[in-house]
Amino acid sequence: MTTMTQTAPLVRVDGVTKRFGSGDKEMVALSGLNLEVREGEFLSLLGPSGCGKSTALNIMGGLLEATEGTVTFSGEQLTEPNRHIGMMFQQAVMFPWRTTLENVLLPVEIFGEKKKDFIPKAEELLEMVGIKDFRDSYPWQLSGGMQQRAALCRVLLHDPKLLLLDEPCGALDEFTRESMNQELLRLQDYAKSTAVLVTHNITEAVFMSDRVAVMSARPGRLVDIIEVPFDRPRRPDLQTTNDFIKLVAKARQMLELQ
Amino acid sequence: MTTTAPPPTPARSAPTPGPTWWERFRGGSAWIVITTVAVIIAFWEFFPQTGLVNRVLFPTFSETVAAFVQLLGGGYWWDDLAKTMSAVAIAWVIGVAFGFTMGVVLGTSPFMRQAITPYAIAVQALPKVVLAPLLIGWLGFGPESKIALAVIICFFPVWIDTMVGLALPSANEFKLMKSLKASRWQVFTKLQLPSALPMIMVGVKHALLLAFTGVIVAEILSASDGGLGKLTKEFASQLNMGLVYSVVTIVVILSITLVSIADVIERRVVFWSEESRARRK
Repeated sequence: MTTMTQTAPLVRVDGVTKRFGSGDKEMVALSGLNLEVREGEFLSLLGPSGCGKSTALNIMGGLLEATEGTVTFSGEQLTEPNRHIGMMFQQAVMFPWRTTLENVLLPVEIFGEKKKDFIPKAEELLEMVGIKDFRDSYPWQLSGGMQQRAALCRVLLHDPKLLLLDEPCGALDEFTRESMNQELLRLQDYAKSTAVLVTHNITEAVFMSDRVAVMSARPGRLVDIIEVPFDRPRRPDLQTTNDFIKLVAKARQMLELQ
Repeated sequence: MTTTAPPPTPARSAPTPGPTWWERFRGGSAWIVITTVAVIIAFWEFFPQTGLVNRVLFPTFSETVAAFVQLLGGGYWWDDLAKTMSAVAIAWVIGVAFGFTMGVVLGTSPFMRQAITPYAIAVQALPKVVLAPLLIGWLGFGPESKIALAVIICFFPVWIDTMVGLALPSANEFKLMKSLKASRWQVFTKLQLPSALPMIMVGVKHALLLAFTGVIVAEILSASDGGLGKLTKEFASQLNMGLVYSVVTIVVILSITLVSIADVIERRVVFWSEESRARRK
């Protein structure tokens, strides 16, 4: 760590291009993406569907290989999934044969650690998101929002440096989505991790983020980055202030100008 | 079942003076079953006496009951029962083990799936009973040939259900495991196998009845080793149809019992499956 302003970025995406298929069927999902994710920030990748934002996220998580370009995480080139990177998907992905607690402890088993050592932490997280009473229930006994909260606990159990969120609230209804977003912000702050959120919801992107990376569709390309200057913690009524509405309008304009 | 119930388990209500048995009988569907059974028994009893069919070949209900009592009284068939059931048990275990292994190999290796699937389809299309004479020729008239036939008949559903079941997890579930850097073995044991279990259980239950069929068919064909199949053939050749009916009844009771036990076990093992949940409601 040097000075606060000059810290090296946690993630550096360098000229990343991703092509699927070959020949006539070749599809360019992502074209020459350059992006830096700063330590501790909340960054959103905002764009229409098919702009390659999920592809970019999967490459940053080491799930997909870039056709060209490199991704650097904590100063090292990233080629495979890393246990300091936690991913959340649009679906909660809870295994129905495991209780909530057992689902939260899944990474512990995969990493070959002792479950006992992580039970207190898991219970603390479940308590924080308000579903501790359901620790011994099965996922099919929980609502979609509760399942996604459990998934949040699972991803935070190992204090990931980087949280990659692939529209984790996309499948939830509007009310659940809003409270879930609050939960996300609170816990990201609590865990002091860096977060990258993929979304196509402009208001959500502006509300959640320190910076919004606006992307264009086919082939996916970075248009511009909007700085969001509002203080944290962010309250829902921020969304009705003039400054907020102006920023949303700016982002919308960028999306439409393409 | 209590361990899997949702947390807000409704406490069992205190016993209140319920309806009398007659009210329950009228209100429920039991009377439909009882009426149907009564009509069938009446038909069974009186139709053979009309002279439209040969009474020797079609014994009445009361004659059948008498034969059944006679069979139960004479202990000579216990040995046949033991022979049949042990052959079913052995064939079922071998068939399930073989089917499961094949399912895992083909379900996890695209290469093996490509290589073996055409033969699998050919084998399945074959009415496997036709192999019985061949197996008897190879393995003799002892229990080996009937176990072999039963295995060949019963392993297929386990194989297919295992193979299909292992492919059931969604792309997101595989992605989650990949993001945790799970090994292939971990993906198999912690995701694919539990996901496949409800389907595998269906195949295992199916295999039980098929093993039963296979053993009895082989017994009817080869006869010299004994068993319930041989018994029916013997009684039929003596034109003692009441006893044939009795053995058939025993087979029906056995298979219903076995399937019911398997159902209970299934609901405990795969308590999370849609089917188990639906049946608990």
